[in-house]
Amino acid sequence: MSLVLQSVVLGLLLGGLYALLAAGLTLYFGIMRVVMIAHSAFLILAAYLAWWWHERLGLDPLLSLVVTVPLFFLAGVAMQRLLLARLRAVTLTMMSVLVTFAVALTIEGLLGYAFTGTQRRIQLGYGSAGFELFGARIAVVKLIAFGLAVVSLGALYLLMKRTSFGWALRATIQHRDAARLVGIDTERTAGYGFGLGLATAAVGGTALSLDSTIYPSLHWHWIGPLMAIIVVGGLGSVPGAAAAALLLGLAQSLLQIPLGTTWAQTVFYVALFATLAVRPQGFFGGRLAQRF
Amino acid sequence: MPNVSRRLLPLVPVVVLAVAILSFPSLAPNPYILSSGIVVLNYAVLATAWNFVGGFTGYISLGHGALAGLGGYATGLLVTKAGMPAFVALIAAAVLVAALAVPLGMAALRVRGASFVIVSIALVLILLLVFQSWASLTGGSRGLVVPRPFPSLLRPEHHRVFFFLYGGLLALALLTWWIVDRSRFGLGLKALREDEDKASALGTPTFTYKLIVFVLSATFTALGGGLYALWFGDLDPVFQFSVLTGSYLVLMALLGGVRSLYGPLVGALVVGTALEYFKGSFGNTPLHLVATGVLLAVVVLVMPDGVLPALAAGWSRLRRTSQTSIREVTAAELRDQRTSAASAASGSARSADSAGFAGSAGSAASGAGATSPGTDAGVSERASAHERSGGGGGKPDSPGRRDQEARR
Repeated sequence: MSLVLQSVVLGLLLGGLYALLAAGLTLYFGIMRVVMIAHSAFLILAAYLAWWWHERLGLDPLLSLVVTVPLFFLAGVAMQRLLLARLRAVTLTMMSVLVTFAVALTIEGLLGYAFTGTQRRIQLGYGSAGFELFGARIAVVKLIAFGLAVVSLGALYLLMKRTSFGWALRATIQHRDAARLVGIDTERTAGYGFGLGLATAAVGGTALSLDSTIYPSLHWHWIGPLMAIIVVGGLGSVPGAAAAALLLGLAQSLLQIPLGTTWAQTVFYVALFATLAVRPQGFFGGRLAQRF
Repeated sequence: MPNVSRRLLPLVPVVVLAVAILSFPSLAPNPYILSSGIVVLNYAVLATAWNFVGGFTGYISLGHGALAGLGGYATGLLVTKAGMPAFVALIAAAVLVAALAVPLGMAALRVRGASFVIVSIALVLILLLVFQSWASLTGGSRGLVVPRPFPSLLRPEHHRVFFFLYGGLLALALLTWWIVDRSRFGLGLKALREDEDKASALGTPTFTYKLIVFVLSATFTALGGGLYALWFGDLDPVFQFSVLTGSYLVLMALLGGVRSLYGPLVGALVVGTALEYFKGSFGNTPLHLVATGVLLAVVVLVMPDGVLPALAAGWSRLRRTSQTSIREVTAAELRDQRTSAASAASGSARSADSAGFAGSAGSAASGAGATSPGTDAGVSERASAHERSGGGGGKPDSPGRRDQEARR
């Protein structure tokens, strides 16, 4: 029983991280109909930066957020302006996949070149600390990662709902031409939205670096589950992605008990194929998902 | 005699290709070069097989590496576990993969674009996971050793035989692509590539067509992968189910041009040779990934229609500097051209069909296209090609163009 409880807790904590990352992917898709393969490559890049920050400067990896979040925001804006906005509108979805795929390969190659393929892990003073809750043991680092995810998702929610930039962004997602008619600079808004999406990768990467072993090709292990989450959640729906993330994270964690870690990962792909076969527009998707 | 030369021109690449494939094993200075040649031919087969989906339907698959790996593993397992003769196993493996491609295609092709790519990547990742974990069947990370089909042959002879086998497979794939390209089926596929909604509204069974061509592509990919298993004799899940293989194929096809018969072949020659060269001189470094990534991004951003078509367009622009888009043909000349084209063209009914499709696919460029003499199938194809590449060109406002702008 305590094993199940433990798995539920771990699954929810992991699901929180998935939710944050899937929110980023959903933002890109909503804004530009872009499937951003490089999202998880940026995630690993942020994790490496946090590791490097800890290794070289001796500072807490969480402090690297001060640098990586603005940096990734700018990188996102630049990527939208310089790469994705230049693609032809007709073939945007397909070609954007290729471009972001190329970016992912480049990042993986550069990481391998700069830091070699050796597996890295941050040794933290509080790395092994934890506490008991109803018989389930919770590691502090996992809780911090979850906390980061919740805070960022909350901030994202407030930004989207309460600020005028958020209104402009949601208007751009809902109907680009109409947004332009009411005077929104959709190009700039789309760029900032993209930067916002990439900033979630920075937060996620830092959270990931706290308690995971990282290596350059790790991003392939993340992109599959994340893709499955946004398809199950319905492409373009942030709450849908969050719900699917928690659900699938929980399922993965629970299936690890009978199946082991490797086979438990297949739950994402099974969910992906099942969703496409039964309900291609996803389970929580709105109007956007119908068209893809 | 322009007519004779136009008739003979398509045969030139065929002859060049046949001579190159037949003479290369004798010209190769050592078995290593010959084995590199086999690797490049393998890429050429896979890229041509990829182009059945990528070129005709415009759906870009990053997962074809997985289909090749599946073909390889199926062949290897049928030989080692079921004791089948090597080439029977190869055919059986291709049939198995084709059968598997049906449900895969049904899941992936029901929805447009984005989901297809996601599924294709997921396919690679899930198969890597399964083949690594299921060690009792596949040998896991230790690899699967496939016995050589011709145990009596020495290594160089073995290479030579497989070089010709790959050559034959490539010829078969190219021939099939060419037949599909000229068929009614191919026209339907191209119509759905240009505009799926309109094609389906006109009565093209888009889903069935997509599924058939996907299965066809999977079959050829599996044959290529199976042949590789028989030749190389050692399979490792990390290399068989690598996302990188799929991206190499995409890069090759895009580089050469997805709309032409020989495009993927040329791309495979360039990229495959470069890959083999760099592997030989520098070993496997992470910079491979960087080079592939940068090249892919450049091709997609600068020449999404491929290098060959870009060069061809540049050449025709140079050649036809005097020709403008304004008609400079008298009505009498035009009538003569049409009558001679109609009587000369074999299967003129088919070409009339194609003109109808191109017109309905939102291409109003036929006015410009029709000035150049030629068979009408060629004209309509070129006209729609013009329209597609019209993004940066100085084409006057056609309805199709405006449609694009509005969607942006």
